[in-house]
Amino acid sequence: MSFTASDLAELRALLGDEGVLATDAALFTYEADALTLERFRPDVVVLPRSTDEIAAIVRWANAHGVPVTPRGAGTGLAGGATPMQGGVVLSLNRMGRILSVDADRMFAWVQPGLVNLQLSQQLAPLGLYFAPDPASQQVSTVGGNVATNAGGPHCLKYGVTFNHILGAVVVLADGSAVRLGGEAPDAANDDLLGVVCGSEGTLGIVTEICVRLMPKPAAVETMLFDFPSIVDACRTVSAVIAAGIVPAAMEIMDQHTTQLIEEWLHIGLPTDAAGVLLIEIDGPAESMRGQVEAVVAHAKAHGTGNIRIAQDAAERAAIWKGRKSAFGAYGRTQKGFYIMDGVVPRTRLAEALETIVGLADRHQLASGNVFHAGDGNLHPHILFDPDDPKAQADALEISHEILRMCIRMGGAISGEHGVGIEKRPMMSEMFAEADLATMERVRRAFDPACRLNPGKILPGGGGCGEGARSAREGIPARIGAMFPREDAEGPWI
Amino acid sequence: MDLSTHDLGLDAARAVDPSDYALGGRTPRHAVRPASRDEVAQVLRAASRDRLVVVPWGGGGQLARAGAPARYDVALDLRGLDRVIEYEPEDLTLTAECGIPIATLAAAVAARGQELPLESAHPARATLGGVLAMNASGPRRRQLGGPRDRLLGARFVLGDGTLAHTGGKVVKNVAGHAVHRMLCGSRGTLAVLVEASLKLLPGPARRRALVFALPGWALADPARWAPIPRIEPSWLTVLGREHRGLVSGVPDTDAIAVVGLEDDGAWVDRQAEIVCDALGAPALTLEDADAIALRARVTDLPQSLGPVCLRFASPHVTPAALAPVAHQVWMASAVFHAPSGGLWLATEIAAAAEAVAVLGAHGFTLIDASPAGVAAPLVADAAAVPELRARLRAALDPHGVLDRGTTSS
Repeated sequence: MSFTASDLAELRALLGDEGVLATDAALFTYEADALTLERFRPDVVVLPRSTDEIAAIVRWANAHGVPVTPRGAGTGLAGGATPMQGGVVLSLNRMGRILSVDADRMFAWVQPGLVNLQLSQQLAPLGLYFAPDPASQQVSTVGGNVATNAGGPHCLKYGVTFNHILGAVVVLADGSAVRLGGEAPDAANDDLLGVVCGSEGTLGIVTEICVRLMPKPAAVETMLFDFPSIVDACRTVSAVIAAGIVPAAMEIMDQHTTQLIEEWLHIGLPTDAAGVLLIEIDGPAESMRGQVEAVVAHAKAHGTGNIRIAQDAAERAAIWKGRKSAFGAYGRTQKGFYIMDGVVPRTRLAEALETIVGLADRHQLASGNVFHAGDGNLHPHILFDPDDPKAQADALEISHEILRMCIRMGGAISGEHGVGIEKRPMMSEMFAEADLATMERVRRAFDPACRLNPGKILPGGGGCGEGARSAREGIPARIGAMFPREDAEGPWI
Repeated sequence: MDLSTHDLGLDAARAVDPSDYALGGRTPRHAVRPASRDEVAQVLRAASRDRLVVVPWGGGGQLARAGAPARYDVALDLRGLDRVIEYEPEDLTLTAECGIPIATLAAAVAARGQELPLESAHPARATLGGVLAMNASGPRRRQLGGPRDRLLGARFVLGDGTLAHTGGKVVKNVAGHAVHRMLCGSRGTLAVLVEASLKLLPGPARRRALVFALPGWALADPARWAPIPRIEPSWLTVLGREHRGLVSGVPDTDAIAVVGLEDDGAWVDRQAEIVCDALGAPALTLEDADAIALRARVTDLPQSLGPVCLRFASPHVTPAALAPVAHQVWMASAVFHAPSGGLWLATEIAAAAEAVAVLGAHGFTLIDASPAGVAAPLVADAAAVPELRARLRAALDPHGVLDRGTTSS
């Protein structure tokens, strides 16, 4: 449908003039999230300021039979916030406040448009923080984190977003606002919030969130180990876990990646090592020494060469800057590249990496690997010339083969980016028909008319995963090249 | 009309004695113990076809206190599904069938120095599926998270016999709708859990329990307790006067508080110093196996409370939250797991409603009561929530096979 002046007037009556955007420039901006080659134009963008306004928009959309696609900061890499069927994009950017903090009982109510990092920064004087730290945390919102059940480098120890959400106010597909969960950890019934978290805005729109807060760790130690083979780095990861140590983060970068970062930033990463392993431990100061010694011993036993332990906060920040700059470093090569997000059991990491390198070699394409090794979450990057159709097709084939490998190894096709549009075709490979049909039953119970973020997560075929409104159905199988700005530190992976 | 095992799609060898599965004095028409998830699916398919009502059974500890179902055709005993399917210590994950007792799982992972992050009263009897379905927890609820926090994925059978799987066995996974999480706390009314994957924890090097005698006034000073949540003890449980026999060698006082510290040795020592600075010298200190044994006894307590057992949830994190109600008669039976705000207590039937109202005014919300019907959880949900739950039940169990008619909502 195309919106009429009367439609826009009705929305402006609900939200005020500044709450409704319908210019070409605005609509263009909201055509896609960070999966930029999948673009679908919304008919209108609305910027509500309250739960009541969101409920009013959803009711209005129901009355007019148009879909609603909620959107946080738009940092998603899977197209979750892309309005596949047009209609209303509901941006939560004007709902970015902390509503209340209970420092004694360690929870806070926040609005969904609050930027993740700002929450922790504002809590710092209280000695508390919000543990989920997706690499996009400088930009991404708590509501977006809930929608994608975001992880981050430190979710190895502290768990993913879902583990830190106590309750939420949710606007359901019929426009009613309900509270699921609450400030208490337990409730009388089955856990509806548990299925809303990670549902990518398809089961409801989260409008207020009760987040669990954690005491800030008293001490942090950040270590960098280089290895003559990436397999040894992976084995160190397993050995540390097997020894009963759960570091806050364990990240591996391959040589291709460290060389690109070092050429750019000159922060002293070892460029002659096949693999670099970053391990961070945190917790009480009393526990640090024993854990550092144990981690170092395991790394040595697996053949580490140089060991660098951050001596102060500045050095720690430099090491993390290197890790978080991988995305920007790939972008500097001026090629297109495709980032994947897959998971394998931690013990199969080394085997998975060998497979990835082999696949890329066979197609004569370069690949880079930087990944959350502690939880087996791979982010292979396939670099290719986006103007070369064969290279593009090869990159696509490699990406599918990598995800199939994840499935074969007992892993998952997405660890933290979500399914969105991008991974829909792979859902049928990871799940049986009965599994997907069960998900569809739940989805329909929440949203009988499939108005909330239609076309996402589930594969097409007549259900809520039914795709785009235009002739572009089928596009999810295409591959998108990404061109980050060179100055982007890469708050993405 | 009699019901046979054959009617349920199973071999006669799967039949068990229905009289062992009575609920609230009501015996099912038939009882079966399938040996595989496919057999569970067969039973539910047959039940759906014949419009029978099925009650899934684990250890039965929680069901024993449930009321009589409105209809009760088949008891589905899941304890035949008792295999560990995959345990990879270096991945800190485990996949098992849901009829296995959690004590068996805990022993299997403890042998590798790891910790099962699930707790329940009587763990030798409580099954994996029962713990998940009942959202059971214990003193370490805040440290371990609830069952939903540890559940990576599950296989389950819907009321119409559909065998489905969501989630996975890896610790990070955002592929698809997490229906398995919704089944936590669903009491077997949405689907029958047959297989679950869990995220484990490394076992701590040191465990210590500090036992403090609490005279009545000791609860009332919030500042006294304030430092404790920040050091994140594994557990901190206040036990009413009736439970003082649980620990010998503690002076006769209004209540006792047990602070459980489970971590590496250096941090446990430091935590103990901080706790003692705040609370004074403990009446008793238990180490390692003794501390574990006391925690096990404390975990069992709620299931033996009666005649009426009330379970409350709250956002409170310290024992100071009990100060306004400490003088109430029923507080003598209280079991309060402070870090997670969970409170259990026993009352006489006539006193239950008043206890619910009094505690409700102080931030404690009733979430369960047994025997069923003695007090109903205060459901303040907007009408849309029960409607949504009804749609979910209709979607997952179209013929009401798992609707035994005694659940709330």
